[in-house]
Amino acid sequence: MRKVLLLVVLFVLLTSASVMAQADITIEFYFPTAVDAPINEIIQRYADQFHELNPNITVVPTYTGSYTQTRDTIRTELNGGGAGPDVAVMLTTDLYSFIDEGSIVPMQSYIDTLEDPEAFVSDIFPAFLANSMDEEGTIWSLPFQRSTVILYYNADLLREAGIENPPTNRDELLAAAQALTLPNGERWGLLVPFAGGFPIWVFQPFAIGNGRNITGETPTTVYMNDPQVIDALDFATNLGTEYAVGPAGGSVWGDTPTAFLNGQAAMIIHTTGTMTNLLNNATFEVGAAFVPMGLPNDEGLGYGTVTGGGNTYIFNPPGAERSPEELEAAWLWAEFLASPEIQSDWGAATGYIAARASAWELDPLASLAAERPQYLAARDQLAYAAAEFTSYRAIDTQNIINATLSGVISGAETDAAAAMASAQEQIDALLAEYR
Amino acid sequence: MNNSRRAEIGITLLTSVLGLLWLLPLVFAVLMSLRPQAEGLTVGSVFFASRITFDNYAAALSVAPWAWHAITSVIFVFGTLAVQLVTVTMAGYAFARMKFFGRGALLFIMLLQIMIPTAVLLVQNFATIRELGLFDTRWALMLPYWASAFGVLLLRQTFREVPRELEEAARIDGANLLQILFRVYIPLSVPAYVAFALVSISSHWNEFMWPFIVTRSEEVRPLTVGLNKLYSTTEVGALYGQLLAGTVIVIAPLVIMFMLFQRRFIQSFASSGIK
Repeated sequence: MRKVLLLVVLFVLLTSASVMAQADITIEFYFPTAVDAPINEIIQRYADQFHELNPNITVVPTYTGSYTQTRDTIRTELNGGGAGPDVAVMLTTDLYSFIDEGSIVPMQSYIDTLEDPEAFVSDIFPAFLANSMDEEGTIWSLPFQRSTVILYYNADLLREAGIENPPTNRDELLAAAQALTLPNGERWGLLVPFAGGFPIWVFQPFAIGNGRNITGETPTTVYMNDPQVIDALDFATNLGTEYAVGPAGGSVWGDTPTAFLNGQAAMIIHTTGTMTNLLNNATFEVGAAFVPMGLPNDEGLGYGTVTGGGNTYIFNPPGAERSPEELEAAWLWAEFLASPEIQSDWGAATGYIAARASAWELDPLASLAAERPQYLAARDQLAYAAAEFTSYRAIDTQNIINATLSGVISGAETDAAAAMASAQEQIDALLAEYR
Repeated sequence: MNNSRRAEIGITLLTSVLGLLWLLPLVFAVLMSLRPQAEGLTVGSVFFASRITFDNYAAALSVAPWAWHAITSVIFVFGTLAVQLVTVTMAGYAFARMKFFGRGALLFIMLLQIMIPTAVLLVQNFATIRELGLFDTRWALMLPYWASAFGVLLLRQTFREVPRELEEAARIDGANLLQILFRVYIPLSVPAYVAFALVSISSHWNEFMWPFIVTRSEEVRPLTVGLNKLYSTTEVGALYGQLLAGTVIVIAPLVIMFMLFQRRFIQSFASSGIK
């Protein structure tokens, strides 16, 4: 009898222990930073909130440097026999590299299990989903820290020059920039940061506004050798040469916001990510407007911009063999980060654009936007925003495009059409095996 | 004025110019870190903007748990050095004075290690650390550096300069191997040790990639990883003020240490033959 009792006790102890072991899940979360907010504290706060809602899941956030450093960290870990993170924030444009490696799990299967999948998806701004979907429309990643290219203008200077409204197409933009430029580089009318970074991202709004995005409908279609794209490139180059409303070759990415704050530029093209910096530090009225790099359409508008930033991915690389419960927990964390409440808080704290329409109805973002309507321009411009450039072998294709654009815009390459044709050829050769 | 006097003045002038050049980045860093974030170099004079501010320091201090990073950096640097001093002394003596089979070949193989860039070994070292179960600990930071080919070579050369007669005399007096090392070789090689320590400390204080890859918790990450946060602001633009405030904080201990022990260091380098 005693033996039986002992066995029963032992059995109960063992099973309860294993149930507990199963229920406790740890999510390794890697995140890069690109803004100057106290991100560690903010993310840890989210992890704590999440743990309160899901007591059996513990999120361990790790700061992993820049996007490139995060990618290198994950690569080293996987190559060195590690399992990598469960969830990581990576560039939206990394999608096809991860699909190629077979290291991520689509979010779509989890979205489909939601009560109302359609409501969930339609609440996310479509422009921010453009880089989440593959050719079949399957969603692989969820927007987290997103931005776009935007036009900032010194409203005081525009008023002085008698310009009442910010430009709405490239003809108006050029006229305004010429009127605002002072001789001898004392003040530039318009700074476009093509130098020192990623000309591809800054150039895309020129092409999109002109009616043709350089990234195509599939991960193997690229439009470099397109008349509208080449025309956009000519315009971009001429801003620094023929029209001389900015320095030849464009301004330096990192220095452009400071030049604007110091009154050395009346208008700049930059990311929405620097809006908080500009609004906090400017001694004049800062205006934010849609990027008008296209020729006027029937309504006289030439708007177009590009999205950027990082999405959450769920990782399950070969060898990691995560259980369905672990993957489910990873999804819950990714979904939590994309929830209206977190997106509202994150947007207000960092200056990233909250990716869901409903997030803008919630505080703290709602009151911030009421106080600073410039943030609403960033949101509303999303109607004109298109996908960031990506393809298979995205790092290689981006390198080709960046080199080509830098060459033409800096004046090292004088025949834009020939340079673009050559880039197209190289990219097509690179992507041939994926077609 | 005779020729030697003229040469002296020339050398003083030249070193002053070189000294100023060396000082320039430091002065620039300090000046920029005291400028308001929004004011580039065009506002105010070259030296000071509209006002002096410590906001950049406050901002830089808020982005990372610096106290933890500092503790880790100190443990990493001195923990590495402590073990290195033991290993390079032992190996240095063995290669300098002991005769054994394959000594030349072994020394050659060890020296090859100097030529392999550490980045090449990143994945392999990572895998080893993981298998040892040391991932995300301070041990992982130090372990790969405990043996130093450079240090062994330096000590070997220094020990070979020590007259053999001294060792033999000590032996006749009944000293064992450890006593010989501590009473004869080490006291005569202090400049080499100081020089090695300086190289070791400054290179590990500045080490970024390895600690970054092999740790995840903020508590076991050194200062360089914290500083990296200030570099990663592409979405905002370059925030030089903050970045340089952080840089000043991180390099200050080394700069102060160097200034305090400057004379000693320079003598050591001069007598150990490192340039």
